[in-house]
Amino acid sequence: MASRQLIRIGVDTGGTFTDFVFERDGRLQLFKLPSTPSDPSLAIRQGLERICAETDSRLDQIEVVHGTTVGTNALLQRRGARIALVTTKGFEDVLAIGRQARPELYNLNAIKPPPLVSNELRLGIGERVVASGEVLEPLDERELRTLVNKLKQAGVEAVAISLLFSFLHPEHEERIALSLAPLDVPLSISSRILPEYREYERTSTVVINAYLQPLMGRYLKRLSGETKLNLRVMQSSGGSISADAAAIEPVRTILSGPSGGVVGALRAAQSAGIQNVITFDMGGTSTDVALCDSGAIRTTNEATVAGLPVAVSVMDIHTVGAGGGSIARVDEGGSLRVGPESAGADPGPACYGRSLLPTVTDAHVVLGHFGGTGLLGGEFKLDEERAREAMQKLADDLSRVSGKRVSITNAAEGVLSVANTNMERALRYISVERGHDPRQFALLPFGGAGGLHAVELARALRIPTIIAPVAPGALSAVGVLVADVIKDQSRTVMFTYEAKSISKLGRVFSELEREAARLLRAEGFLRSKQRHERSLAMRYRGQSFELEVRDTAGDLARAFHRAHRERYGYAQEESEIEIVSARLRSFGLVEKLPQRKIETTRGKPHGNVTAHLNGRKVSVALYKRDELRSGAKLQTPCIVTEYSATTLIPSEANARVDQFGNLIIRQDLQDVSR
Amino acid sequence: MFDPTTLEIYRALFTSVAEEMGVALRRTAFSPNIKERRDYSCAVFDAKGRVIAQGDHMPVHLGSMPMAVAAALAEIKLAPGDVVALNDPFAGGTHLPDVTLVMPIAIGPRIFFYVANRAHHADIGGATPGSMGLAADIYGEGIRIPPIRLVRNGVLDRDTMRLLLANVRGNVERRGDFDAQIGSLKTGAARLLEIIERRGEKEVSEYASQLINYSARLMRYTIASIPDGEYEAEDALDDDGVEDRAVAIKVRISIEGEQALVDFTGSAPQVTGAINAVEAITVSAVSYVFRCLVDGEVPASAGLMEPIEVIAPRGTVVNANPPASVAGGNVETSQRIVDVLFRALANALPDRIPAASQGTMNNLTIGGIDSRNGQEFSYYETVAGGMGARPSSDGMSGVHTHMTNSMNTPAEALEYAYPLRVREYRLRKGSGGAGEHRGGDGVVREIETLVPARMSLLCDRRKRGPYGLFGGEDGATGVNEIISEKKKYRIASKGSHELKAGDRIRIETPGGGGWGNTDNTD
Repeated sequence: MASRQLIRIGVDTGGTFTDFVFERDGRLQLFKLPSTPSDPSLAIRQGLERICAETDSRLDQIEVVHGTTVGTNALLQRRGARIALVTTKGFEDVLAIGRQARPELYNLNAIKPPPLVSNELRLGIGERVVASGEVLEPLDERELRTLVNKLKQAGVEAVAISLLFSFLHPEHEERIALSLAPLDVPLSISSRILPEYREYERTSTVVINAYLQPLMGRYLKRLSGETKLNLRVMQSSGGSISADAAAIEPVRTILSGPSGGVVGALRAAQSAGIQNVITFDMGGTSTDVALCDSGAIRTTNEATVAGLPVAVSVMDIHTVGAGGGSIARVDEGGSLRVGPESAGADPGPACYGRSLLPTVTDAHVVLGHFGGTGLLGGEFKLDEERAREAMQKLADDLSRVSGKRVSITNAAEGVLSVANTNMERALRYISVERGHDPRQFALLPFGGAGGLHAVELARALRIPTIIAPVAPGALSAVGVLVADVIKDQSRTVMFTYEAKSISKLGRVFSELEREAARLLRAEGFLRSKQRHERSLAMRYRGQSFELEVRDTAGDLARAFHRAHRERYGYAQEESEIEIVSARLRSFGLVEKLPQRKIETTRGKPHGNVTAHLNGRKVSVALYKRDELRSGAKLQTPCIVTEYSATTLIPSEANARVDQFGNLIIRQDLQDVSR
Repeated sequence: MFDPTTLEIYRALFTSVAEEMGVALRRTAFSPNIKERRDYSCAVFDAKGRVIAQGDHMPVHLGSMPMAVAAALAEIKLAPGDVVALNDPFAGGTHLPDVTLVMPIAIGPRIFFYVANRAHHADIGGATPGSMGLAADIYGEGIRIPPIRLVRNGVLDRDTMRLLLANVRGNVERRGDFDAQIGSLKTGAARLLEIIERRGEKEVSEYASQLINYSARLMRYTIASIPDGEYEAEDALDDDGVEDRAVAIKVRISIEGEQALVDFTGSAPQVTGAINAVEAITVSAVSYVFRCLVDGEVPASAGLMEPIEVIAPRGTVVNANPPASVAGGNVETSQRIVDVLFRALANALPDRIPAASQGTMNNLTIGGIDSRNGQEFSYYETVAGGMGARPSSDGMSGVHTHMTNSMNTPAEALEYAYPLRVREYRLRKGSGGAGEHRGGDGVVREIETLVPARMSLLCDRRKRGPYGLFGGEDGATGVNEIISEKKKYRIASKGSHELKAGDRIRIETPGGGGWGNTDNTD
């Protein structure tokens, strides 16, 4: 029993379901349980017990990797802790002023999200470090004593500390932390969490961390329970960290769930031999898109969550407020708008039976795109009559403004065209607008509604291949399970590049690497299971944005000019180059999961249904996904239904099932016009 | 008639063209002013030169870009492959640093669209580094570019470019910014040609017009919701920086059904100091104010102004004649025009209109030699203030309002880049006007120079605070001070000063006006 291998389990908490994935006898097993939003750990414990029973193991024989929305939801709903912020005197309001821009240009009623720390709890202290790292003004010990007393009386649950240029001289922050130790509350210290310049973004990040610390600590403790569960948490960057680390730096888990989805999607694409992929996760109220180039997931340090900047490494995911629940209406100018208002899960689209709101999902129902099977494998019936009634009202409005009769079918088709146009913009935003040609990528839809729109969207962007992965509803859980452990570290160094500066960088990197190696060893990763990636944030002197360069030795200037030319189309060879930050990403390499090949047979349609495609009423083949075997070629047009998703494939495309069960859809794009 | 679905699709398509042009420009420009502060705009025009879509970039460019294209088309017969440049405030421009480029999109000889972009260049020549100083006429403000061909049949006119670059500071950066602007036009052209290819030229042209009609319908609907009547207001700029005399701006807005007439007759004659606005700016301010009244998103097309007529008498501060100096018209006078318009509209729509916001951009320039590397530096920034209180909520504190939305420079970034040190940066507590809803607070920004430097200021609202509405108190006036060897003295809102190493400039920006009687606070 002692030598028995750990059973690894991926758990992803969603709004409706909690997904579980684990490996047994070389196969991935999946199941869903209803989520328990008031305390997500309840559903998780329940699922873990079920797995333990099925595999005849104890809780200390399993390892759980968890994608969680606890941090995001607390931030969105402003349910975090009562916290204080300590800053350099004179800069207490940096958090409130931000970058001084207003959120919407033409909205007279716009509101800036109020700071997470109230006025009276943003406290300045006399001290000043300058850009050279020198101490202009030492820390005022008398003010420090007053500050400690004030915080004792204020009864705060956590404290954030962010002083100017603290990353050059952490001693002042450390001294304050030491004095605050008797308070016995969690501390978030800027020179530890994010030793990089730009005080607003850094302070915001550290404040979010403090805001989430008590809550995340309690949650993870509850989840671990009496038996100390072997628990890891998915970070926003696409790798996991230990539960202890997540409790100390919860800001790193802020996009935990969505990033699991992208990792799972990339793995599915790679199983089909594809390294360039755009992931497209369409849910009820919003759609997440991300781009992976050459098998690498793009991350950013400029993310915004709930209107607040988060400057730690976060997967570069673009979200738009368009989904199956987006409501269609005709506006005062006579244009057909779809979203951003959403019917959500409650009351939901008209076809859920509780409203008469015409939504994107209702348009699919009216056009017969679900093949008459309902959702969740038929468990969830769709009220087609109600969908038609809602769409009829929209058709009447459209008839009125356009002066000609608009049929219910035309109205539904219009809703889908507009929804697709909005989502096409999101896809262009992460590809074309960042210098990538979508034709060199495959599109990978997941989430409940992704497969209904993917082929049409791919056509608009001239993407030739679409991969509909296995179990598209559980990709996040698979993703968290396969993700490597990742530790990100960075340090602002800020010097002008010269050949001799390399040795200085070498020292910084060795220090960072020693620390990372120690942490990974403590988590059980031998040297051979570690990988360290160095990169530098560089820019031309005078620029305000940095470019991340992977080369950290050799002729850095040449490497930077080249990277700049690739990204921006030009280089300024004669300009001075600044090295802003040294960054190290360290991986603890996780055992790869086996890919299960599926049996080979011919696929036969389950039957035929009538649906509206491209403005024509046609007979469409209906397939059940779990009846499809490897090598099957599908008749098109067809609808493929499965437990948590539906895929729509028009006659211009062809589709087959690959050896791992992925549905590979290809379309000829010689003549793309509509 | 039109198809509502197709209309919505084109709304998204044309807007995304303008946005993609903006991304291309920001990504490739050289100067921080374009990349970090985002002082630029991009737009798409139909074959008649009417604007179809414009990116949500700078409000002050909203109504003035169309006049640039109109001026270019009036002066020059553009052929495919040409690019026209202009900055002349008296021929389609606003102030000299804003340079606009226009390019036709053609298939064969036939022109279907024009694309244009406008960027604020960090220097365009003239007596003061940054080209934002107080000159007595336009000749002192920099190089004036009437509509000229910068690119002819796809080839850059090198002679013209050399002439331009010889007249501006930092010409490597300037050249880079021009290249970026041309590249952004090409991005827009490629995207439009792709759309034409995909959907057919007939439909694309037709829905360009439909989009203009659509904006016009939304604006008519909006104006119809304003009670008929005549609404008047007056406000003033403190002075022009030369003479100590208020400069009045007066407006009468007549609403009749779906039509609005906005008449600035009675506004002060143009002045010597650089706060004259050209007509394009005045139209922009009107366009911005009415755009704010429309609920939700609306394409910034020519249709927006269709039901609105603007009368701006020539020779006044809202429609200056050459050779008036105009650097501050764009940044200061534009804000006061907005204040006057909202004040008039508050009589018509008392439950929708906010009290006055800070009403200035607090333009600050500091230049000198950086002792760390012996190189020249020039730092330019605008400082946020208080927003006016709204009928249903307090005004926001420490934000840019109305005609600008540029970002600040982080203190740590500023100290790395320049021999300057931020000593204080905080909200100016209590500066917002009291009322049932409070005006937002201004900010305090105090900067020390570590080397001898020349500092220029261009601000307003230092003599009369932003107005409160319906019993709300005015916001606090702004204050500018120099702190030198522990002595503090106030300086005027506009002008240049020599600073010694260790001197500090302290700017306290105005608070927003309050809304409603204080007695009604809960």
